[in-house]
Amino acid sequence: MENFIKTYINDANHSLGLVDSKEIAKAINIIQSVFERDGRIYIFGNGGSLALATHWVSDFNKTVFSHNLDKHSRRFQAIRLPSTEEEFSAWANDVGYEMVFAGPLQNYLQEADCVIAISSSGNSGNITKAVELAKSRHISVIGLSGFDGGRLNELADAKILVKTEKGKYGIVEGAHGVILHLITVYFQNYFDHLLQRNDKK
Amino acid sequence: MIIIKSPLRISFVGGGTDLPDFYSKYPGRVISTTINKYIYLVINPAYHMNDFILKYQITEKVNHPSEIIHDRFRSALLDYGIIKNGLEIGTFADIPAKTGLGSSSSFTVALVKGLSAYLGKTMSNGEAAEEACRFEIDILKEPIGKQDQYAAAFGGFNIFQFNQDGRVDVEPVLLDYFKRSSLEDHLLLFFTGITRNASSVLGEQRLKIEENLETYKKMSDSVFYFRDKLLAGDFKGMADMLHEGWLRKKSLSSNISNSIIDSLYEIGINSGAWGGKILGAGGGGCLMFIAPPEKHMFIREEITQAAKVSSLKEFQEIPVNFTQSGANIIYNSNR
Repeated sequence: MENFIKTYINDANHSLGLVDSKEIAKAINIIQSVFERDGRIYIFGNGGSLALATHWVSDFNKTVFSHNLDKHSRRFQAIRLPSTEEEFSAWANDVGYEMVFAGPLQNYLQEADCVIAISSSGNSGNITKAVELAKSRHISVIGLSGFDGGRLNELADAKILVKTEKGKYGIVEGAHGVILHLITVYFQNYFDHLLQRNDKK
Repeated sequence: MIIIKSPLRISFVGGGTDLPDFYSKYPGRVISTTINKYIYLVINPAYHMNDFILKYQITEKVNHPSEIIHDRFRSALLDYGIIKNGLEIGTFADIPAKTGLGSSSSFTVALVKGLSAYLGKTMSNGEAAEEACRFEIDILKEPIGKQDQYAAAFGGFNIFQFNQDGRVDVEPVLLDYFKRSSLEDHLLLFFTGITRNASSVLGEQRLKIEENLETYKKMSDSVFYFRDKLLAGDFKGMADMLHEGWLRKKSLSSNISNSIIDSLYEIGINSGAWGGKILGAGGGGCLMFIAPPEKHMFIREEITQAAKVSSLKEFQEIPVNFTQSGANIIYNSNR
């Protein structure tokens, strides 16, 4: 029993340690740019990755500013796509499952925005379809992938890859969760710092 | 209607090595950052106006782009084949032109991005930078380099490397917010009130590249040392490099500085600044200092007083924050 637990934790640590911190820094810069332009962040994924996307949106839109909610009139506008189950099923049923992200994304996307795509294999057809749409309009893409990165890692501007053997979804999704939280905490510290600095002045 | 917002920039080290006369012999490098001062461009398809209307320091109203006086507007509209009249373009800016903050290339980047959007196309940062270079350097034959176009198009802290074959590599300097804001707290920027045309200074500089080749090589290589000091948060070390660079650059062209600029710079140093430089091609523009924050008030008072004595009516401090975003279309009703 203990052996299994230790091996799993070691695996998780090992894969998280392989993530290129430069690529996370690039992702943070992309989000910083979007904030300066008052743009929006669209995030999506399938299954567990969609759950990560939803979780991150709730953190990012509120937790980042939660120490001083009333002092920040401009906050982040992160949106999980599709934003309702009805939209999800309508695109899937009426147009095709590959359009569940690209379809709604096309409605929203403007030049000031960015995209965060999450896919463990990096090869989900509906993910790459949406990412290709963003790239065709020169929109920055943050890609969170696993295994060997797949097509998503090739296309993304910030290539956040959790390298594992193929099929280790748990390790990849867990690491993605940590990285998404890291981004939230970075911006929370940043906005706290800005307020403290203004108070001093 | 299309609205484009394009940032100005502060360049720290390597200016001049982005001239083709240099980078055709040895890779040129510049380290710079964009700041929260912007050029805005508004493009309005005014189909019922039956004219081309350009609003900048003056207003031009012409029937065909070939009649436009403003060279960038004229060459861009003609080159893009936008010759059917009924188009209105206006510019707005946070800061006057010719202050050494790269405004003229920032404007051109906004123009090429905006006109592309008007034609229904989007541009990558690299494409926008190269297009702006094509207009300014290839078509209008201005004797300028490529750093400002790239700074405005990409945004943020970057090292730009200008390769012999004309390609430009962009390496972002990944600074966390703490170092970024700490550098802001050390930085002072003053508009001298003296404006100059970059082309006239760069013209002379260009002629002397051959004889100063070794100096330029050193400037290009020193960009990496400057980056390392920046990443380490060694602001004193950065300031020392700026000071050395300032002295070195003054030796390159007689009109990079003049006695007023020299004396303002010396007052800054004597009042406690660690180092600094004139921004832009020189002869005027902005003076930048890196100084311990507790000395800022004194430096500010001394230098403002000296500017008053020299009758620099437009002299003013420009408080800046660093930014990450490059030129961007912030509104497009034609999407």
